[in-house]
Amino acid sequence: MTASTHRGDRSLAAGQRPATPRAGTPGRPPRPRRPRPLIAFGHWWWALPAIIAVTAIHYAATAAGGFFAFTDWSGIGSFEFIGWDNFTRILADPVQLGALRNTLLIAFGSVVLTNVIGLGLALALNRGLKTRYVLRVLLFMPVVLSPLAVSYIWKFIFEYNGPLNQFLGALGLTSLQKAWLADPTWSIWVILVVVVWQNTGIAMVIYLANLASVDPGIEEAAALDGAGVMQRFRHITLPSIRPAIAISTTLGLINGFRVFDQIMALTGGGPAGATETLATEVYKETFSLGNFGYGAALALMLTVIILVFAIVQQRVTRDRSKEGQ
Amino acid sequence: MIQHRKAFRRGVVLALPVAGVLALTACSAAGSGDGDANGFTFTYQTSNNLESPYATLAKEYMKSHPGVTITLNPQPNDRYGQTLRTQLQGGNASDLIQTAPGTGQPHSALTLAQAGFLEPLGKSAASLIPKGSDSLFYIGDKLYAQPVDFTVNGVVYNTTAAAKAGITKFPATTEELVQNCKTLSAKGMSFVALAGGAPPNLIQITQVISATRVYAENPDWNQDRSTGSVTFANTQGWRDTLQTIVDLNKAGCFQAGAQGSGFDAITNGLSRGTALAGFIPGGSAKELMSAAPDQKMVVQAFPPAQGGKTFTLGGSNYSLSVNAASTKKKAIQDFLDWLAQPQNAKRYAEISGAIPVSGLESVDLAGSAYQPVEPLLRSGSYAPLPTTVWPNESVADAISSGVQGLLTGQNTIDQVLAKMDAAWDQ
Amino acid sequence: MFHYTRWTALREVLLWIVALIFLLPFYFLISTALKSDAEVFSTNPVAPPSAMELGNFAEVFTATGQSNILLGLLNSVIITGGSILGLVVLGSLAGYVIARSTRRWSKVAYYLFLVAITLPTQLGTVPLYIGARTLGLTGSPWGMIVLYTGMLLPLSIFLYAGFFRGLGIAYEEAAVMDGATPTQVFFLIVLPLMAPATGTVAILAGLIVWNDFFTPLIFLAGSGAQTLPVAMYFYVGSLVSQWNQIFAIVIVSMIPIIAFYLFAQKKFMQGFAGGLKN
Repeated sequence: MTASTHRGDRSLAAGQRPATPRAGTPGRPPRPRRPRPLIAFGHWWWALPAIIAVTAIHYAATAAGGFFAFTDWSGIGSFEFIGWDNFTRILADPVQLGALRNTLLIAFGSVVLTNVIGLGLALALNRGLKTRYVLRVLLFMPVVLSPLAVSYIWKFIFEYNGPLNQFLGALGLTSLQKAWLADPTWSIWVILVVVVWQNTGIAMVIYLANLASVDPGIEEAAALDGAGVMQRFRHITLPSIRPAIAISTTLGLINGFRVFDQIMALTGGGPAGATETLATEVYKETFSLGNFGYGAALALMLTVIILVFAIVQQRVTRDRSKEGQ
Repeated sequence: MIQHRKAFRRGVVLALPVAGVLALTACSAAGSGDGDANGFTFTYQTSNNLESPYATLAKEYMKSHPGVTITLNPQPNDRYGQTLRTQLQGGNASDLIQTAPGTGQPHSALTLAQAGFLEPLGKSAASLIPKGSDSLFYIGDKLYAQPVDFTVNGVVYNTTAAAKAGITKFPATTEELVQNCKTLSAKGMSFVALAGGAPPNLIQITQVISATRVYAENPDWNQDRSTGSVTFANTQGWRDTLQTIVDLNKAGCFQAGAQGSGFDAITNGLSRGTALAGFIPGGSAKELMSAAPDQKMVVQAFPPAQGGKTFTLGGSNYSLSVNAASTKKKAIQDFLDWLAQPQNAKRYAEISGAIPVSGLESVDLAGSAYQPVEPLLRSGSYAPLPTTVWPNESVADAISSGVQGLLTGQNTIDQVLAKMDAAWDQ
Repeated sequence: MFHYTRWTALREVLLWIVALIFLLPFYFLISTALKSDAEVFSTNPVAPPSAMELGNFAEVFTATGQSNILLGLLNSVIITGGSILGLVVLGSLAGYVIARSTRRWSKVAYYLFLVAITLPTQLGTVPLYIGARTLGLTGSPWGMIVLYTGMLLPLSIFLYAGFFRGLGIAYEEAAVMDGATPTQVFFLIVLPLMAPATGTVAILAGLIVWNDFFTPLIFLAGSGAQTLPVAMYFYVGSLVSQWNQIFAIVIVSMIPIIAFYLFAQKKFMQGFAGGLKN
């Protein structure tokens, strides 16, 4: 591999397993491990404010939330311990099971779609096109907008009298016209479309950054040797963008589990709970119905799910990136 | 590297004064909000783009009381209760808040008072409480809500549009109403404009239809449910109520796409005459007519099933309460006292299109939008809005999601009734 | 190397078609915002406006109370700016010592931050909310700055630590040999070098704070210190599907961030690509 490829790999890898000290870089000798370094850099207490803030705001608050998951607290007044009751109630409630299913559908659906489309766009925009920079800027634009603002635009498009149904009508496809946001089957897919539309740009730039560090010479040589487009993609491009795949899917999955604004603005969880996710149910139970203990139990479930998938993802991508090197 | 350093220095040089300026402007911005001792903030719900009667009255009050500033914070009514609770819990809610009498909604005054969010009111409101409904406003001897209206909850009916469609008489039975639906949809119109995507409208249609199916038969049904002698599931009237909604939907009585519509479907449908009726509080007839002066609208009771008794819902839908965390209680009490004066209560009724909160007996309804329901009001054939009496907001929540599910085919009537019972007993 | 062939031209045209379809929502946004009240009800939603109606935009700026858009803009700028400042100062200091220390505690601290990135905020929201209310931090922009700084510090430290790990220590070593104290080393040697990482932190964290809707809705709602998305939410809520006016405020709310994006688009994309240089 060329030097530039190597550098690209390293900095990307920094995103997924930064704890591993990197050795063998030109110009920097490997840092020997020793209990007491001869030279100290910075003072340990520089990290103290950050450690305190994160411990309080992330860990203490989350632990307190986890504690209330085992109570029947209403947010005000006294409460009682009720053990696993909240969880048994969640698992017996078809609405919550539906919310769980929707959470997984949106998380995995958005990861797959944003990465496939994002990679396709990145490959198409990587080299050659005269206007590739303009196109990148345009296609990335939805990423910077507020999900709430974006959802308002899409709500208009999917309204019963909105552009999409008008367009279907103009094509003579009146049988396909429907109340998209109130359709028990379609509404969840509408939300997926909006999430994917907004997040595809992130996947695109991650792949573009990785592709930029792949030496075009190798691909050209392979082309001269008679390798087809698909062969070149499988044997040259794909192995070299594994780090980008790892980062992009991890990010996408964590974000996918947290989708909230879009659902609140588009459907409010309706029709009849068809688009509720764990995140919207937590909000509804906690803030509008005052069932704080129950809401905390839902949030605890969401937390555990995210942590489990984050760990699985770490393991899978670690092996993969070893393969790739 | 040298470039980096330069860039960084420039950054610091810029950042410091910017931060300073921001700090100053933020102080002045925060100061202007609550600096004024006679000013207070006022939150109420809106469901259309017309000026709210609260806004009109607040402006009139400010005009007659120089030095008082009322900052209005209208909130969308499809999530009003949720927003209000969040703000109350955070200590950020407005000083004066619009609530609902009783207990059954997220913004119900007594529910909020029990949670400690409301301040008891002065005595000027006591005279306004409709006879026999003390339990919707008091906890013990403490009064938590000042009623502002007497609202008839039936349907608002556009007679101009009906005449144009060839319907000269309001249907006397539901069956008759359903027969009209086909003719109307052939003309691109609908009998009912429904905001099936907005929880308050789903709750309203269910309650209004229940008047003839449940409360006409058993006016004490709510009490019986409290004692446990009846349930939603074992009351044929509730089953019929939900079945009626399903039948209306099947017969095409709602506009196309109704299950996802917002309140704009009702506002636009009635004011443009593409729909004949909407399940909205009676006062809205007046609001809508002011937006569409060429359409005449009246208040009608939803027709009973063949052989049933005509009946409707009436009572105070809205009340005003004081945030316990407010520091402007004196200024607010002055405003509430002013509102309680008979001429101002009348003024509210006039601009909101409601009936004045007290003195239904003495009001002349001839020629008003309420003429069609006058006999019902005079004979006492009305029940209070069930959601003011029900014990918690979860029942209403079960209705709104359940009835939307009936429209989309996700739920069966049995499932919805079971959910309503579960919510009540929660 | 690569020749601009007919194939490439075809690819270019195809991509422009894709991009135009992709950006179609913006057409609806702009054309609807320019329609009058009468037109938005009577015409086809796909049709362009017959005349430019700018009144919807003027209307946006007349809103008061919780939907006051200019106050929302000011609050958003204060909260975003303050949070970035906190994240850069605390994040770079912590990221630096964690990257440079070889002691065991630094590894533990590093994992503490790493796990915090994946922790969803929902579970802690209510306890945080109660804590913030007790400390009087709800309803004020300063409370939000503290909150966001704490919430996003793990991300900031993660990015800084990764950056410092990739940065050679030769300069720092040389400075220490010359007798510089750790503080001098950080402020004279390290600080000027960390501009790229700071840019990434500022853009990633700044965008999260700027666009966040849920946290300010809960912590600021009703206080008059609402941010831009919250002001937009209340404005839209009081409108009930008057799409021309809704889209006017949506456009107004988007202008600052789009302007900033177009001004610094390269930095934005680099930020999302993990601070890579392309």
